[in-house]
Amino acid sequence: MTDHDSDKQHGFHRHGDNAFVAEFSQSEREVLINLVEQIIELLGERTDNHVDDPLAAMVGITTHDSPPEDDVLLRLLPNAYADQVDAAEFRRYTESTLRSKKYGHSMSMRITLKSAEDGIIEFDHDGANDWLGAMNDIRLALGVRLKVEQTSHEELELLAPDDPMRGVYAVYSWLGWLQESLIVALMDEAI
Amino acid sequence: MVKLDEKVEEAINELFSTDKPWVTIVWDDPVNLMTYVTYVLMELFGYTKEKAHELMMKVHTEGKAVVSTGSREEMEHDVARLHEYGLWATLQRGDQAL
Repeated sequence: MTDHDSDKQHGFHRHGDNAFVAEFSQSEREVLINLVEQIIELLGERTDNHVDDPLAAMVGITTHDSPPEDDVLLRLLPNAYADQVDAAEFRRYTESTLRSKKYGHSMSMRITLKSAEDGIIEFDHDGANDWLGAMNDIRLALGVRLKVEQTSHEELELLAPDDPMRGVYAVYSWLGWLQESLIVALMDEAI
Repeated sequence: MVKLDEKVEEAINELFSTDKPWVTIVWDDPVNLMTYVTYVLMELFGYTKEKAHELMMKVHTEGKAVVSTGSREEMEHDVARLHEYGLWATLQRGDQAL
């Protein structure tokens, strides 16, 4: 995964006006599918503090006004206000929309990966934005698990070989590199 | 380019400051890439690369930056879009201490 010595390690690059391409090995593709599916599952209905109200659900109002109990979900669906009352009110009216937009980014990424059996991924500008959002959500989730808020990069680099977080950090770093390559390709276009 | 009289400019600024009393703030976090924050600000707000980069650097060095100002509804919309792309954003009254 962190073995960057093959010619496939160029990440994303631009093809023409509106196409972005990358080639992944089978194992890289499987890792990406696995990660994005975890986010999709996480973004499914919240089970904490949930009351069914079909009418409210229809108009996009959730019955949630409390922040998610899970730290990862809280980072993906953060408070919009410092004030708890305002934050709860905002969440009540917007959380389901935010959740479905993020779900859409992740589903878009999953569909591209699933259909690319040869490992060649290609999408347009909108697809690129879906992928950026989805890859970023994966990195935010891994970042919470790695406690990047409290841990320095040096400490993470020096994790023991048998530390289970070492593999997580490797994937996290690889995704950052991949995301960066796509941004560089997109910025090229924007100039 | 038209040069405005200073008094007129002051009056205009005042008009807009009372009309746009809310701000959207982006906070620094250790996960989001610097290039990603710049790209999202360009994409969502139509900022130039220079302006987006400058705001990103302010977030990075000072821990936070006001990225847009406007009505409460407009800022709620901006915060929701920033959350969609994983940036850590909040809104508040412009006259509140950051």
